[in-house]
Amino acid sequence: MGAQESTPRPVRPVLACGEVRTCLLPTRDAVDERAAEALLRLRADERVRVSRRPNRCAVSPDVLTGIDCRLPTANGAKVRAIGTVAARAVLTEGRVLQSTAYFAAPAEGPDGRRPWGYYLVRPGLLVPVGRLPAPAVAEGFLAGHRQGELDVGSVAESLLARISRAPLLDYDTPLNTASTVLRWSARPAPADGEPSLRFTVGEEGLRTVALRLPEGTAPAAVAGLCEDLALHDWLLTTVGDKLDGVRLGTDDQAAVRKVLGPLVDHLLHLWMPRARLERVLAGLWDALEEAPGFTRQWDALAQRIRDQLALRALLARREALDARLTTR
Amino acid sequence: MKGSLPEEETSFRETSAEPHTASVPFSHLSLELGHLYMEDFAEGPDRLRRHFAAVRPWADAVRAGVGPLPEGRRPRISTCFLVDDYFSRLATPAELLPPLLAAAREAGLTIDYLARESGCAAPDPAHPGSAPLAESVLHRLVESPPPGSTGYRPPVGRTGWLTNGRRTPSRRTSAALDASDVWQPPSETLARGHSVFMDVELFSGTEEDRTWSCAFLASVWQLARLGLLRDNGRAVLTPAPWDPAAFPADWDALPPVVRLTPDAAPFTAYGTCSVLPGRFLPVEHAVRVVLDQVQLEPDVLDQAARRSEAEGYPLPGGVVERTSYVFPPGL
Repeated sequence: MGAQESTPRPVRPVLACGEVRTCLLPTRDAVDERAAEALLRLRADERVRVSRRPNRCAVSPDVLTGIDCRLPTANGAKVRAIGTVAARAVLTEGRVLQSTAYFAAPAEGPDGRRPWGYYLVRPGLLVPVGRLPAPAVAEGFLAGHRQGELDVGSVAESLLARISRAPLLDYDTPLNTASTVLRWSARPAPADGEPSLRFTVGEEGLRTVALRLPEGTAPAAVAGLCEDLALHDWLLTTVGDKLDGVRLGTDDQAAVRKVLGPLVDHLLHLWMPRARLERVLAGLWDALEEAPGFTRQWDALAQRIRDQLALRALLARREALDARLTTR
Repeated sequence: MKGSLPEEETSFRETSAEPHTASVPFSHLSLELGHLYMEDFAEGPDRLRRHFAAVRPWADAVRAGVGPLPEGRRPRISTCFLVDDYFSRLATPAELLPPLLAAAREAGLTIDYLARESGCAAPDPAHPGSAPLAESVLHRLVESPPPGSTGYRPPVGRTGWLTNGRRTPSRRTSAALDASDVWQPPSETLARGHSVFMDVELFSGTEEDRTWSCAFLASVWQLARLGLLRDNGRAVLTPAPWDPAAFPADWDALPPVVRLTPDAAPFTAYGTCSVLPGRFLPVEHAVRVVLDQVQLEPDVLDQAARRSEAEGYPLPGGVVERTSYVFPPGL
């Protein structure tokens, strides 16, 4: 005992990266709070965090995956990192399931691998061997990994798969939806610069978010921001795709109602950006509201659905009236 | 900034979303005065007397070795003894425990805390409905990644086993491939030159009828003594005061950890030392392999770190380094 190797000092990460998968919980109806807790109970001795305001949201404990490999870099530099990637799952209103895998990294680490216990007392931290070229890794991470490099997406995917295997899910979803992938990286903002956020929709639907944040922002808080972004991006994408596929002018009322009904029942009430964000991070949403205008687009979509349903109700009533008049 | 719900920024807070971690008291050292199988007890009081007589000088040496402590501080040391009531129950507590305590006393040793090995396997009776401790620890294992682990298809853990490295690749059964099938050795991660590879069996049996291994329960025992386990934020295996003159006839009627010395230093400690017979060396090697791969709650680790730091007694960062052993001759 004594001070051979001191307790880990809080390290100041110079980089945090992660990937969020967002999908509809594969079940007929939204699940209640108890079921949500059962689904996200990844460990026997740690409870699921549940919040009811301003909407219902359950967050699993973090689970760790051990990593020892090269990090993706934009300039091809070879950087080995060792440590753990943290993953957690979030269920919003018992309906939308997300899994995030993320890590933070310090500017430099020891010259070689240390005993595993060293990394386990630094959960969610990937410690580089030597110096970390943070800008090159941030950029390389968003571009995607090559073989033999860190694959955070697989960690997120396997957590999603683990939860989706739960027997209480019936896989009889009320609407068919695609899942989305959002990859993010965050570095401290320059000393004289403002925090910033760059949101890009790339090929094959991959969303990337490049962030510059106030120094000392907790990686878990950044993950929370990106889950919020991914959730609302998924809602826009899903509802937009559904409206895109339906011929609203058609006379087939039943077909239109079949598409619009589930959107109203399951998705329209989920729009609630910035529900649980720290103020400094919530401010970054404003940029997205300006362009492309997330909430503006959502309001337009929601209004269009409501108008269509109102119109159809009106038409249906008139038809019924006409039918009664002709039979008389 | 800490967590995702900053205190000063949200005017509306919900307790259900906020994890709370109970704190426990800490001694400097938890000193374990040996471990015996039920068969050893069956050999009678002489066997017990020989045991404690052999432990005594080493226990004294361990006590003298605690420190360095800041000027004027006296070390807080508590002693404990773990009774195996999990693998076999040859006698009742009322039959078995008084001779044990008497033999320790004769050697000039006091057992402050007495624990039952079943307590490491079962849910804490103080919290009905809680998870069995061994199962909680099992869920907290994060396997040490061999070099080349990218997160893609993490090596499928062999259910119920844990290694300190990489296993020999499984042999191909296809005859066509046999020509290229050359045996590859297992390897220890971070070996110094050559490997000492270990594969630890954590449990056997089905999920409904699981028997935990001695090595895994011993790991849970170490973590409990280090004060690093919680159940949903609550302390576990909190010692219950007990009158040493009144042991029950049924093991289950005895709390998992009892305090026999009313004014003893706390059961949980910054560090542990176990004085054990040499035959337990392989088990304790396995314990180190397990402890090196258990992820503990950051809040719990922080608590121990902050408290020890404030006392001028900084802790090693890794949990394994907080445990120590003596394997004396003649035990």
